[in-house]
Amino acid sequence: MMVFDESFDVIVIGGGHAGCEAASAAARLGAQTALVTLNLDLIGQMSCNPAIGGIAKGHLVREIDALGGIMGKVADRTGIQFRLLNRSRGPAVQSPRTQADRALYRTEMRRVLEHTPNLQLRQGMVFDLLVKNAKIRGVEMQDGRRIGASAVVVAAGTFLNGLVHTGKRTYTAGRAGEPASIELAETLKRLGFPVGRLKTGTPPRIDGRTIDWSKFKPQEADERPVPFSFSTENITQPQIKCYVGYTSSLLHETIRKNLNQSPLYSGQIKGVGPRYCPSIEDKVVKFAEKDRHQLFLEPEGPETNEVYLNGFSTSLPAALQQDLVRMIPGLEEARIIRPGYAIEYDYVDPRELGPDLQCRRITGLFHAGQVNGTTGYEEAACQGLLAGINAAGFVSHRPVFRLRREESYIGVLVDDLITQGVDEPYRIFTSRAEYRLALRYDNADARLCEYGRELGLTGDADWERFNRRRDRIATAKALLRSTRLRRADAAYPAVVAGVSGDLGDSITLEDLARRPGVTPDLIHRLLPAEAGRSMALTDLETALADNLYAGYIRVQDAVIQRLRHHDTTPIPQDLDFRSLNGLSHEMIDRLERSRPQTLGDARRVSGLTAAALSTLYVAASLRS
Amino acid sequence: MDTIVAIATSPGRSAIGLVRLTGPSSLNILQDLVHKPLFTPEPKRLFLKEIRRESGELLDSALVCYFEAPHSFTGEDMVEISCHGSPFILRQVLDLTQSLGARLAEPGEFTLRACKNGKMNLTQAEAVRDLINARTNAAAAQALRQLSGELSAALQPPKHKLIQIIVRLESALEFVEDDLPQIETKQIGEDLLEVVSGVGRLAATFASGRVVRDGIKVTIVGTPNVGKSSIFNRLVGGDRAIVTEIAGTTRDTISESIILHGVPVSLTDTAGIREAEGKIEELGVERTHRAAADADLLVVMLDGSRELIAEDRAILAQTKQAKRVVAVNKCDLPFFDYVENGLKPSSKVVHVSARTGEGLDQLTTAILEPFGTVDAETVGLLITDSRHYDLLRRAQSSLESSIELLNQSASEELVLAGLHNALRFLGEITGETTTDDILAEIFSTFCIGK
Repeated sequence: MMVFDESFDVIVIGGGHAGCEAASAAARLGAQTALVTLNLDLIGQMSCNPAIGGIAKGHLVREIDALGGIMGKVADRTGIQFRLLNRSRGPAVQSPRTQADRALYRTEMRRVLEHTPNLQLRQGMVFDLLVKNAKIRGVEMQDGRRIGASAVVVAAGTFLNGLVHTGKRTYTAGRAGEPASIELAETLKRLGFPVGRLKTGTPPRIDGRTIDWSKFKPQEADERPVPFSFSTENITQPQIKCYVGYTSSLLHETIRKNLNQSPLYSGQIKGVGPRYCPSIEDKVVKFAEKDRHQLFLEPEGPETNEVYLNGFSTSLPAALQQDLVRMIPGLEEARIIRPGYAIEYDYVDPRELGPDLQCRRITGLFHAGQVNGTTGYEEAACQGLLAGINAAGFVSHRPVFRLRREESYIGVLVDDLITQGVDEPYRIFTSRAEYRLALRYDNADARLCEYGRELGLTGDADWERFNRRRDRIATAKALLRSTRLRRADAAYPAVVAGVSGDLGDSITLEDLARRPGVTPDLIHRLLPAEAGRSMALTDLETALADNLYAGYIRVQDAVIQRLRHHDTTPIPQDLDFRSLNGLSHEMIDRLERSRPQTLGDARRVSGLTAAALSTLYVAASLRS
Repeated sequence: MDTIVAIATSPGRSAIGLVRLTGPSSLNILQDLVHKPLFTPEPKRLFLKEIRRESGELLDSALVCYFEAPHSFTGEDMVEISCHGSPFILRQVLDLTQSLGARLAEPGEFTLRACKNGKMNLTQAEAVRDLINARTNAAAAQALRQLSGELSAALQPPKHKLIQIIVRLESALEFVEDDLPQIETKQIGEDLLEVVSGVGRLAATFASGRVVRDGIKVTIVGTPNVGKSSIFNRLVGGDRAIVTEIAGTTRDTISESIILHGVPVSLTDTAGIREAEGKIEELGVERTHRAAADADLLVVMLDGSRELIAEDRAILAQTKQAKRVVAVNKCDLPFFDYVENGLKPSSKVVHVSARTGEGLDQLTTAILEPFGTVDAETVGLLITDSRHYDLLRRAQSSLESSIELLNQSASEELVLAGLHNALRFLGEITGETTTDDILAEIFSTFCIGK
């Protein structure tokens, strides 16, 4: 009989982006929830760049919002430079992004959590997971407190066995200046989880007063900010500028000369870093032919002089960082406030998890965020949301909530993680989604709001708002079909001049909108005056995007269906891969680690050869 | 795992018939068959042994060979027994192995086991099927090429180029804030055309490939007594059809399988087409029409020693739409002065003499030419499998739609939709390219990372 100081339904370990969503969701679904974090003042801390969203990441935030999560709302209230990326491209690959006021984001996130019923915050370090008969029972803290719970979400970020590197100097830390979770990492290993080592890095922060801003090209916020949350009507924070600059060849030369001081190149760092977020050392070495690399100056907020030097992630010694920064045109006088560093941390192979992010090994234990080998606030937050929903569901015996690849980026991310595992920190990309054209930022509500409502995360006001928008989009579609542009119309000559090809005597706005070069603005102007006035451009844009992609999506679905009709063929769970003579050791290893349930799962196991797949196909068909 | 057995040679009487066993008990069954429980033959060597019934009665003297796993076709222990080719003996041996624990193999089960044991992939398995069914050297050569993975290899250059294009477009989409080189639409358009033509060239070989594998049906038609049966006999190389000077001698259609320059041809001689005189001839003419409709190519025979008669013109008119060769016979006769009026210039006309054999080579060439395979035994890799052809054609049309979108300056994600579909189709032949492969290519090509 375990004795606890207090007990909850759900404990969330970690107050980062995964932990915040997990705790908020679990509590709002009715579970008595505790969020345990090392430092209450750093809840919702952005450890790296002060920005939310970006290509595919903005999609994730929209999906989190549509399901009833909190990241989008908090980002909207604290965002200081909203930009819709890929505006010149099709709506499926556009994605919102904003710089955020780092301090304000933290404060706002903590405020939201403190106003969440059923949720309590606890400061302290979790030392141990209390497990009995392969079931989670609670946690034990460093100070000796024991807290009971039927479900625990581990969202410990980079803190597990964190090791910071700057030059040859290393020290254990979760982030610079914060203690690492050494004992929790040991606990996970002791429980038998396969643990690997990853690495990430962060650039130095500069004192804004020492920057010659005139040497940089300003980058403005959008005039019409696109928010993350479907519930946000207006962006209220004053918008700031970011600035673009470049490294110099002298700087490259100096880095090359000092590579022996880089823990990345001396072999001191063993963990695998993200290839899409290389350190400046990596950029200079691997792309030696480039004579300059782009950098961004990102102010951390209106109340601070601290400026984030994006693109300059480094683990070189702090003194050398200072010298290097001064070789950047415009930063000749710059002073570093906080040096950059690299951090190595433990992650647990996510193939240990089910689609609900629950560990197969220990009932009631969920993993979310960086512990699963991902990188990025948005990637962490969506896992936190899913884990929080399922932890609360587990406690109240509700069915597993899972998302499919064809309906959401969250589904893509989770499916990739649990079937393929990770070789490097996993980031979302639009190209990871084979159903990319169907998964737009602007239709995340249509894809997911009903789930949010059924789960009980979406409140009445948001649900009503969604229904009204759905009706307005339907009206817009009907109007696009019924409204024609005719040769006799005053607008006709100007429209014809702007598009390629003939428009005939009359054309519906629906057909006209599919022509390249026809913008939603133009269609908006061509609508009947009264209907046009009452129609919001965002609703029209969604109607047009549905319209634009419908044909492509049909073709693509047909292709995927046709090629993957074997995908649902189950692989017998007692099938011993070692009994299949044709498989190499490497293939057997990959299969055993990912344990694919169907041929479709197996197809997505990375590194599996066509020959191995056909062997598996034959074995599976022989058995069925 | 069962041990399975099958007669590996084709049914019917032959000099030698092969019984093949695969599976863990293969060697045990062989020991029982030869009544020598300690017989452990050196693998891959032939031994002359006596096969005996359970009673000890001699059934056959046979050459036996043992293949030890995994060094066999299926990757399992295998035994091959070469018996005398009497269907009765083979049946007896087959029954005997079953009474000793073997199970009769399902169709294709040997190949399936080879697949399962990684001895070949599906494309290779398809090639084995083709190899077994091959009727000519050329077809066998094509199947062997596929077996060695040559098709997959031939697809690598266009596929690699396609991935390079996808990488450029994807990186422009995904890393909009990075300092990447501008997308050169014109260059990408040109590269795509190169990919399409590479895939298209391979797909186009199917016309020949199918012919090499399945052969073509050629039917000789014409009015009575122009020498159809004589030419038929010439091509077949024997007196297969009865030839007389009496018009309407051939009453029924006659077919023979022949090989012309390595291509299997099913050649059919038909009754002359005219107003039938009697029930039998009427039925014959009806069959002629059916055979003509069924043919891949018609040889329309005319008599060059006389003027075209109304029936000749009627036949020429009726076959205008069909793939045909017009053969003008009796070019050896002194009064051969045939005027080629009334023949469309597009029709291939060959002068032949059934009597002397003159012009037969030209006729053969003319028959094969429309199928793009004048000498199937010496050409390069051909697509022989309709599944591969279908995939290549689909890839081709996906690529073409993407090129059109690119030319219209459509957004990259739309262009990419077709490119990814094309890559999926090619992947069905060569093995799939995963997103991770593409991302890896992006990260090694461009410096990404804001």
